[in-house]
Amino acid sequence: MIDVEARIGRALIAMTFLGVGLLVAGVALMLIHGIGPLTASPTFDPGHLVSSLLALDPAAPLWLGLIVILVTPVARVIAAGIGYARHGQWAMVGIAAAIVIVIAIGVTSALITET
Amino acid sequence: MELALAMGAGGVVAGVFGSLLGLGGGVLIVPLLTLGFGLPLHQAVGVSLVSVIMTSSASAGVYLERHVANLRLGMTLELFTSAGAIVGGAIAFLLDEHLLDGLFAVLIAYVALSMLRGVRADATVAVPVAGGGAPADPAALAGSAASDGPAALTGSAADGYQVRHLRMGLLGSAFAGIASALFGIGGGIIKVPLMNLVMGVPLRVATATSNLMVGITASASAFIYFAKGEIDPYLSGPTAIGVFVGATVGSRLGHRVDLRLLRIIFVLVLGYTAFAMLMKAVS
Repeated sequence: MIDVEARIGRALIAMTFLGVGLLVAGVALMLIHGIGPLTASPTFDPGHLVSSLLALDPAAPLWLGLIVILVTPVARVIAAGIGYARHGQWAMVGIAAAIVIVIAIGVTSALITET
Repeated sequence: MELALAMGAGGVVAGVFGSLLGLGGGVLIVPLLTLGFGLPLHQAVGVSLVSVIMTSSASAGVYLERHVANLRLGMTLELFTSAGAIVGGAIAFLLDEHLLDGLFAVLIAYVALSMLRGVRADATVAVPVAGGGAPADPAALAGSAASDGPAALTGSAADGYQVRHLRMGLLGSAFAGIASALFGIGGGIIKVPLMNLVMGVPLRVATATSNLMVGITASASAFIYFAKGEIDPYLSGPTAIGVFVGATVGSRLGHRVDLRLLRIIFVLVLGYTAFAMLMKAVS
């Protein structure tokens, strides 16, 4: 598991810097387009993310960066779960699965109450 | 443009202070955005959670690479912090904002008192009252006990410590999750003393493990804020980048700064902030 931990550590750092890079790109585009932080932001629309990115819409890299940042800790839990599964440590696999399920329940309930 | 730069600069200051003092950005970012920029508390908490995840993920990565954090213990406690964060995330949108402001004032006052104890107790060593939030300085971790990292949940004599009072730890972790979701903090302020004082985990391991847990705790609540449309990309971008840069700089400045003086200044700033938040709550 020591190697797995080191690999997860490196992946965490890489994903964080990817998220930061996307945010930096988004803020740079904000400044270029003269968009302020208090400007009403467009709602998140996954269907238009790629086209918005290609159109250099500042919101697109910002949304993408935020998602990368939010997903990074969950990806770490999933990666750790896979690592534990390879070592046959099923109790830890169960814990990793339970964490992901708890978060999924939270997001689902938030979406349901929002709509 | 000026506002974006001002928020970024505010984030840098919060990140530097947070990193130097072992605090996450949340305790500083939320008052900065609510009192300084007049944002509603929910939006400020959303921005703060993003900042907290960013900084904690980077530092947790370093801690994992160097085998300082106890991943098994962290994940076990994470199950309860994430459950607490989900509950807290639901409560946050039910409570009146004035009440949340008042509760946040109490939290800041508690942090200030913890800092004050640190000033009295030790003139040179940083007090890890919060843990999480500051990217780890690899130099600061050099020479750490590698045997602490892959320690089993229950520890062993070879690891140098034995995890005890696990039930208390699980309960406290759930509470830390609720606090994280309500106030946009990492929750390290609860988890580090909990692991260190109650569960018998060495301080260095407790801080590293808390850092690891902060990401998933904040992430669980951040997803709820995201789903409810309370994470604004235009607000989050400049501030979070500022916090990240500030925390990175802060982690490299640690050994050059008179931490005792810094803590005294910070206690005064926190005291004033707690007062201002309280006034906002009753206004």
